[in-house]
Amino acid sequence: MSRETLFALPARVGAGILSVADQVGGMTLLLGQALRRLFPPRVDRYELVRNLHRMGVQSLPIVIATAAFTGAIMVIQAAPLVIRFNARAFIGWGASFVTFREVGPLLIALMFNGRVGANNAAELGTMVVTEQVDGLRALAIDPIGYLVTPRILAMVVMIVALTVLGDGVAVIGSMITGDLLLDVHPRTFIASALPMLGPWDVIVGLIKSAIFGLMIALTSCYFGLSTRGGAPGVGRSVNASVVAAASGIFVADYLSTFVLG
Amino acid sequence: MIRIQDLSVAFRSPVLDGVSLHAPAASILALVGPGASGKSVLLKSVAGLLRPDRGEVFVNDVALGDRDEAGLAEVRKGIGMLFQNYALFDYLTVGENIAFPLRRLFDLPEEEIQERVTERLVRVSLPGFEERIPRSLSGGQKKRVGIARATVARAPILLYDDPTAGLDPVTSQKIYDLIKGEQREQQSCVMVISSDVAGILSIADRVAMLHQGRIAFDGTAEEARTSQDPLVRQFIHGLLEGPL
Amino acid sequence: MTQAGLSEGHAPATSRRLGGPVIDGLRDLRDLFRLLGRTLSLISHGKREKGAIVEQMYFIGNRSLVFMCITMGFIGAIITFQSAVQSQRLLPDLTMLGATFIKLLVRDMAASLGAMPLATRVGAGIAAEIGSMVVTDQVDALRMCAADPVDYLVVPRFIAATLMGTAVLIIAGAVSIVSGMLIANGMFDVNFHTYLNFSMVTLGDVALGVTKMIAFCAAIAIISAQRGLATFGGSEGVGTATTRAVVGSSFAIIVLNFFISGLGYFFVPS
Repeated sequence: MSRETLFALPARVGAGILSVADQVGGMTLLLGQALRRLFPPRVDRYELVRNLHRMGVQSLPIVIATAAFTGAIMVIQAAPLVIRFNARAFIGWGASFVTFREVGPLLIALMFNGRVGANNAAELGTMVVTEQVDGLRALAIDPIGYLVTPRILAMVVMIVALTVLGDGVAVIGSMITGDLLLDVHPRTFIASALPMLGPWDVIVGLIKSAIFGLMIALTSCYFGLSTRGGAPGVGRSVNASVVAAASGIFVADYLSTFVLG
Repeated sequence: MIRIQDLSVAFRSPVLDGVSLHAPAASILALVGPGASGKSVLLKSVAGLLRPDRGEVFVNDVALGDRDEAGLAEVRKGIGMLFQNYALFDYLTVGENIAFPLRRLFDLPEEEIQERVTERLVRVSLPGFEERIPRSLSGGQKKRVGIARATVARAPILLYDDPTAGLDPVTSQKIYDLIKGEQREQQSCVMVISSDVAGILSIADRVAMLHQGRIAFDGTAEEARTSQDPLVRQFIHGLLEGPL
Repeated sequence: MTQAGLSEGHAPATSRRLGGPVIDGLRDLRDLFRLLGRTLSLISHGKREKGAIVEQMYFIGNRSLVFMCITMGFIGAIITFQSAVQSQRLLPDLTMLGATFIKLLVRDMAASLGAMPLATRVGAGIAAEIGSMVVTDQVDALRMCAADPVDYLVVPRFIAATLMGTAVLIIAGAVSIVSGMLIANGMFDVNFHTYLNFSMVTLGDVALGVTKMIAFCAAIAIISAQRGLATFGGSEGVGTATTRAVVGSSFAIIVLNFFISGLGYFFVPS
């Protein structure tokens, strides 16, 4: 075996680790810069409101549809086990718990990532390759305060709001499916859920979704702003951003499950 | 060779509005006009890449409108095209890019393909560039590779979409010489879009000017230079005063 | 060329606002099925570029395998942890933890939870790739050389993504079993042998799971290719196409899962 082939794999692994470290470092710096614009607040109010509105409107239909189907699918999947272990009395609690703690925040974050995160990376990437960001600088407008901070704030706020809504829709979806498929009356469903669920279960889910939102916001802004090389460059950035955010979401989910569990 | 009859194309607003034009065999027809006047759309319609809303394009008396994608492929076999943004395949080497039309359209032995690729690269002054990838080339080099790919199949009709956009005067002149020389050798029918009016008039036999989706002028290069029509005069000579 | 559809009629504003997206959705669906039909018919009698499928398979596998293994590894750990903690609240016995998890994984989660990140990785890649070829006129250049974009670009990606995607999902599913096993052993003292209990998995579960994988991967490929081919207008267009590919495929996975799971509940009893 020649030296090159011997070192090819470690070299690739090393290069991969270095580039991930580079990206995480870049995002952390970006987060620091964006947070500094909050003390004292130097955030473009109009941009903040515009982004909140746009992101909410963009993702509302897809979140509702996703949540409804997911609620239904959970019960369909669990149905054989519910019958086997004769656990009809627990289905309401099981479905709501899983929705609030895991599935709701996770699926809504994945959808939000595809819809809003990708869109954001594309928008910022386009602004970079068409020299609009340089244009802002030339007008003495701070790109971080104008572009990044409002987007991060808007995404975190919006994803939490959408998760509250999506959780509700998913639970209703589970309830209806439980009624149709397993003859669990909605009253039984609610009765099994309420005593065993604490506010903590909902809060943990929302904390998670805020973390996911921050993750999506940071990756999409970071990759969008580091776009290079015309139209294909924008495509590459969007791709990299969506994938990085998705990996980040799973890692964060894993860590937060243990920390908050 | 190419006959365009009453061609109209609209996307959200009209782009071409009743354009009729004739490009005779063995000549160069220059298409000029202000930005967004529909030149590229016209060229794509001639290649059958766009379906017009109204009107017809005849290539060698074959009406494109009656043909499906497979039928159009037959017609396109006789057309070489240089796209505005080169449209080089970024996952292929320069050599493979140039060989692509030969491989897809003709059944040639491998040696002949390689020979013709080498010959084309020499012709566009990029000898030995076979193994380079398009991303590593400059704008002018990409344009020249694009021209090599457009001409490699020796198609009797050639369509060039702004072959000198963004290039320096010396490189532009080289490209004009190349286009003219090729056309003389092959006796081909050439339609070429250009925003460099003076340069293109030096090689064109005929000139058509598009303005707001209509033909504002159609005649020989000499007639274009001496035209007294205020619109044509202003555009051809780059005057500030006028209807534009 | 005109897009004069029903949405531009003189309907009252509200019904237009509600009807517009519905009509757009139906139009998308029609375009998707058209592309699917053309792709399937070209699979049997298209001009195949030598090695194109293998190249795409290599590309897709290479791009997604590590990512998918990491993702599904975390998912296996999370689910095992959550279900262990919760089932301890009901009954102290964790012997069925692995068996239940493995059954759900084979029947559904390896396909559905795995397909979501796969859509992000592979779908966005396909859409961005084809989309930038559209906006830089490369697709038109292909057509000039009698290379049908569906035959030349979509078919190899469709076949490769379906085969390779399914393979990657199976491997990633296996990884999630391993990670779940490690968590169960490390945190809840369930020994490996007890966890690795395949007794609840039936042939029907396997068939259902693999059907889902194939359907999801095919959906990812065809939706992303369609979004890519429909790209319009410069770099912003490529961005939009990518976004729509990810969202469209993710949503399609959820809807398909609903229907396949529903059919599975009635026809593939466990």
